[in-house]
Amino acid sequence: MTKQFIIIGNSAAGIAAAETIRQRDKESKIIMISDEDCPAYCRCMLSYYLAGEVKEKTLSYRPANFYQGNNVELLLNKKVARVDPKKNRVICEDKTQLGYDALLIATGARPKFPEVKGVKRTGVFGFRTIKDAQAISAQLPVTKTACILGGGLIGLKAAYALKKRNIEVKVIIKSPQVLSQMLDGQAAELVRKKLEEHGIEVLLGQDVLEIIGEGDVKAVKLDSGKAIGCTMVIVGKGVSPNIELIKDSEVRFNQGILADRFLKTNAGNIYAAGDACESFDLVSGEPGINALWPVAVEQGKIAGANMSGADLTYDGSLGMNSLEFFGLPVVSLAVYKVKQGDSACEELKIINPRENKYKKLILKNNRLLGAVLVGEIKNSGVYLRLIREKIDLSGFKDKLLEENFGYPVIKDALIERDTTYV
Amino acid sequence: MLFANTNTMKQLYYDVKKCLGCRSCEIACAVAHSLAGELFSALREEKLSLPRKKVLPAGGKNYPLSCRHCQDAKCVEACMSGCLVYNKEKGIVEHDEPRCVGCWMCVMVCPFGAIRPNLIAKIPIRCDKCKDKDEPACLKACPTGAIIWQEEREK
Repeated sequence: MTKQFIIIGNSAAGIAAAETIRQRDKESKIIMISDEDCPAYCRCMLSYYLAGEVKEKTLSYRPANFYQGNNVELLLNKKVARVDPKKNRVICEDKTQLGYDALLIATGARPKFPEVKGVKRTGVFGFRTIKDAQAISAQLPVTKTACILGGGLIGLKAAYALKKRNIEVKVIIKSPQVLSQMLDGQAAELVRKKLEEHGIEVLLGQDVLEIIGEGDVKAVKLDSGKAIGCTMVIVGKGVSPNIELIKDSEVRFNQGILADRFLKTNAGNIYAAGDACESFDLVSGEPGINALWPVAVEQGKIAGANMSGADLTYDGSLGMNSLEFFGLPVVSLAVYKVKQGDSACEELKIINPRENKYKKLILKNNRLLGAVLVGEIKNSGVYLRLIREKIDLSGFKDKLLEENFGYPVIKDALIERDTTYV
Repeated sequence: MLFANTNTMKQLYYDVKKCLGCRSCEIACAVAHSLAGELFSALREEKLSLPRKKVLPAGGKNYPLSCRHCQDAKCVEACMSGCLVYNKEKGIVEHDEPRCVGCWMCVMVCPFGAIRPNLIAKIPIRCDKCKDKDEPACLKACPTGAIIWQEEREK
């Protein structure tokens, strides 16, 4: 029997789900709904696009005939206003209604704007969509100085891109370090230095009180009393999941839409994946969101399979990320700071500030909890595997940070049998 | 979790008992992927060609390590630029280098640590099974026959 699958959202999770459904079911109808006006593109690449390193056409990460080839109907410029789980249908803002046999909510997230005076002024941008990148880009010829609010990944990527476009950039960060959601202070300091070396000014421990101007941005006022003249402000202060469409329905939500081990919500045939989905955080052991591209793809695949009849389980996700600024690569995996007072944790470290190298592993009860790698990131995937599979490290703990460490050292401790070596 | 291919494509296997750790395979690999394709000219190239495989010691033995071309590849899943694609017909993970921005997501997730970052060229390097040649360059270079190039073995 042919079915009708609806996927709300046209990015990492949505595309992965559509591909998976189509692999398993050649007949049924798949409809994807996007409130943007273009085929899927990669949001993580927008900073490279803004920097002028990547062309617009390279942003799309699937061939032009993707939708046609997979027999997927793509509805653009369409926003779903609400979901009606009782009647198995979605209601769009333009009043059209669509019925489904299974629904995936992969609506992603949007930038959080701080609640300060002047945040609505012209010249204040989020940095999430291709439209944002284009609007920022259009403003650059008349921009001398830009302030970035927030020292997370988005803020720093925006800062990097603008610097590459010869804009004077100042990053205003409330916490005492950059990347406070993925690095410890020592690692963050190496990143900060690298940014400063390349002319990006980083202001730590300061918050914005007001965005000053008359219509347009003229300056930002900080809680230190200082004011910084600028005509552009980019906000990188985290994201909030797009879940308005289910808020008046029976679908349960917390920060994001709550999904079970099958990535199914509590209501009917409704699934969730990607940045809007609150599944399970493997570090905290509680529901949580790790808004990352690879996580969204993995969830999309599993949700798509389950929507089309499989019963794959999803263990949960880990917070992790990789980035590079001006030749300094950084990887952060799971736990990046030892909780204060947790005396059972142990840190293994290699610090070489002269070579901009820093490696830290956090262990507890002979298991790896997390890692921070700066300057040298080889073997990160092997560390990730030790974390994910909770491998007992007692046989090779002293080798973990050796120059010759690698997969062969851990291979015998793994559950999976390796047939590559005879 | 299934990492290796299940099709009949040829794969690289390693007879660890025979591996002396001489790294001839590393050199042959770097040369094969250089512009010149010949050792002495390769050494003078501006962007030095790095080996896409590494021999690593463990427990008194030597283990050549290279990309397994997993069918359900973590790196493909993590690749945000779409430059990594699993090619079913050829049984390899293909890397469209001009599309790659060097975000290192693939390095972060490879469960074998078989993708290494070339920080100077800003590109991850991995075994491509010498896809344009009859057989991988490392195979011929191994003096002890420790490298085996054969159809997928039973798991």
